[in-house]
Amino acid sequence: MDRRTFIKSSIGASAAIGSLLNLGKFEKLFSFTQTTYDLVAIKGGEPDVMFDKGIEALGGMKTFVKKGQTVVVKPNIGWDVPPERAANTNPKLVSRIVKHCIDAGAKVVYVVDHTCDEWQRAYKNSGIEKAVKDVGGKIVPGNSESYYQSVTIANGKSLKNTKEHEIILSSNVFINVPILKSHSGTTLTIAMKNLMGNVWDRRYWHRTDLHQCIADFATYRKPDLNIVDAYWVMKTNGPRGVSIEDVITMKAQLISTDIVAVDAAATKLFGLNPDDIGYIRYATDMNVGIKDLDKLNIKRITV
Amino acid sequence: MSRSNLTRLKNIRVVVSLIFFLLISLLFIDPWNKIPTGFTNFVVALQLIPAILKIFFYTGITTIGLIFIFLLTIAFGRVYCSTFCPIGTLQDIVIYLKRKVKRRERFQYNKSPYLYHYLLFILITIFTVAGSTTLLNLFEPFSNYGRILTNIVEPLIILTNNFVSNILGDFQLYFLYAIPLRKISLEILIIPILFSALIVYMSYSHSRLFCNSLCPAGALLGLVSRFSVFKIVINENVCNDCGACEKVCKANCIESETKRLDFAACIGCFNCIKSCPTSGVIYAGIKLRSASTSPVAFDSSRRKFFKYNIIPAAAAALPVISVADSIENKTSGFHEARKHPISPPGSISIEHFKSLCTACHLCVTSCPTHVLYPSLFDYGIDGILQPKMNYDASFCNYDCNICTLICPSGAILPVDLPSKKLIQIGRTHFVKEDCVVIDKKKECAACAEHCPTKAVRMVPYEGKLRLPELNNDLCTGCGACEYACPTTPRKAIYVRRNSVHLQAIKPDVKKKEDVPEGLIEFPF
Repeated sequence: MDRRTFIKSSIGASAAIGSLLNLGKFEKLFSFTQTTYDLVAIKGGEPDVMFDKGIEALGGMKTFVKKGQTVVVKPNIGWDVPPERAANTNPKLVSRIVKHCIDAGAKVVYVVDHTCDEWQRAYKNSGIEKAVKDVGGKIVPGNSESYYQSVTIANGKSLKNTKEHEIILSSNVFINVPILKSHSGTTLTIAMKNLMGNVWDRRYWHRTDLHQCIADFATYRKPDLNIVDAYWVMKTNGPRGVSIEDVITMKAQLISTDIVAVDAAATKLFGLNPDDIGYIRYATDMNVGIKDLDKLNIKRITV
Repeated sequence: MSRSNLTRLKNIRVVVSLIFFLLISLLFIDPWNKIPTGFTNFVVALQLIPAILKIFFYTGITTIGLIFIFLLTIAFGRVYCSTFCPIGTLQDIVIYLKRKVKRRERFQYNKSPYLYHYLLFILITIFTVAGSTTLLNLFEPFSNYGRILTNIVEPLIILTNNFVSNILGDFQLYFLYAIPLRKISLEILIIPILFSALIVYMSYSHSRLFCNSLCPAGALLGLVSRFSVFKIVINENVCNDCGACEKVCKANCIESETKRLDFAACIGCFNCIKSCPTSGVIYAGIKLRSASTSPVAFDSSRRKFFKYNIIPAAAAALPVISVADSIENKTSGFHEARKHPISPPGSISIEHFKSLCTACHLCVTSCPTHVLYPSLFDYGIDGILQPKMNYDASFCNYDCNICTLICPSGAILPVDLPSKKLIQIGRTHFVKEDCVVIDKKKECAACAEHCPTKAVRMVPYEGKLRLPELNNDLCTGCGACEYACPTTPRKAIYVRRNSVHLQAIKPDVKKKEDVPEGLIEFPF
């Protein structure tokens, strides 16, 4: 095959694929030439708008969700408080993520969390239940041990066994959507800490070695995508917060496939040093991801 | 009223009773918590004994319900017993089923055991006024019915629901979800099971004898019905001595031979009116009564005996409740503290709660977090079966006041949400030596994490570790910290009850950090 025929056929194939996927924009045909980013940081917009821009920079949701796949989205829905208290992930963001997954051809999109407060009140008052249902996503309860299956954490140091929610185990794509906030136990809760909502028995983590267990569990199944909501950020009294006065408006968002990188970036956004967060250190030591942001290719977007 | 209209009364009674029976049942077997509290209030407002207890402390829809019941009774007698009382309808169902099987079954006049009934009623009243609801709780019909449903029927529904939802879950269908099943102890089941057996046995072999021998509501309404304006009587002028009315009388209060109808024992089922072929059984006002019948002879000495008004006496004495329990248990450890049950917010004090709670368990079945559990003798033998906060099972949701809104008897009085958030039902105690941070030198903070008011917060300890610190002025006693605490077998942090509920201080909501708002620069 000479060079000319190769170029001809490549273009032809790209065009064919492009038209098959019904992509109107010309530059999409050459998406293989696009740089892939390790981390996308967005600021200055509404949560849903920021996500639109951010996911676009990563090639759109179709990069992560293939037609016919099942997707599970794991926001933080821990508490029975309204969205502006910033204890739960912003419902606008969750809803937009679900929408993108459905548009990318997902067969079904589940949204689940093992809440701390009573689950139905938390699902409802967080605004997430309605936001998800409105765009065609499915709400899954996490309130009963019967939904959780035993799993083995092969690389775990303190956490070797736990029970994970069946819907996360059975879905093709796992999208982690934490909210950045202060935390009385672990200083900050971001992406890795949010995975505590996947499991049934959290008391074991608390009484054994919280930071190590969080890092251990991050070795088990890394989310296919981590989206950190930092639109409203709870600066004090986390993770539940006492009032609206704990919250500032930051209007930021971070997206990455690297759960350690996204936690490190969010820690800096919060104004702290990633090395001061135990589980970020441990996870780095266990090669879960890269906390050194200088080594990453970061795309910064201002809306 | 013409005969055709009067005969319709029975059908109306059947329909109304079935509707109320269904509605009341729904309140207790709604593990999905779909029934709005306003609706619950409407239904339970017509429950006599709880409404009487509540009127001393709260004026609301139950007050209207109570007035309605008294007006109804003073006008037409104990219609209540055959319409709004769930135990009344339950007995009617048993009787109905029995008569389906034994078609030849006929009722017969039986002198109502007034002496025993009123003696028991007086005893119940004295105990209740003295501050112990134990005797009342054993016989009060609504609460007994509630307990049967909450402790026997609802768990079966939950088990079925969970079985089905488990199967559906395997197919990723989650419209039905698993519901946590209360740990049911046998001791809680004893009384509901015995009462069910008693009701089924009594109604099967003695029809409505319960209402005329044990039921406090029946006794009270029977007294009122002696003064009813309209009474059911046998019109001697048209009666043809067929005895049909006596054969259908579930209260056994018609003696057809003497053409007597003992209206104080009549439960207002209207079967007699419908059965009469000659319109000989009628509702008659005072004038008509004297014209159509010979006066019904009651033992006047007994009448005098009951003439003094029990109710105002009870009313006057009720607020003066003896202080039977004032344990503050300031120094008690975890296991000791657990022996002193914590009463729900809105119940003012252990005394108030104990003296008014009829243990219907409506709060138990309605609590969204399932923190309210029935107990048997936890409050002492003078307050049996009353619910308590169980922080092993769950904790009180900070933004919830449902139990206060629905309590039929005023044991838990209505409080709005902002006030409820400041009620302190107990205070937290921290045992350093048992804490993970000290014991294992690891971070934990499960308690501070769950605390809605920051009564528990983390303060610097050795190195980078932080240790819980209490500010009990902010504490509501919700038990979130105790529930979340991972230590076993003792919780390192737990709630000790306030025998008299206190006020918590409103959490400090000033901005604690001076953080620039608006567009940030990426620090990376």
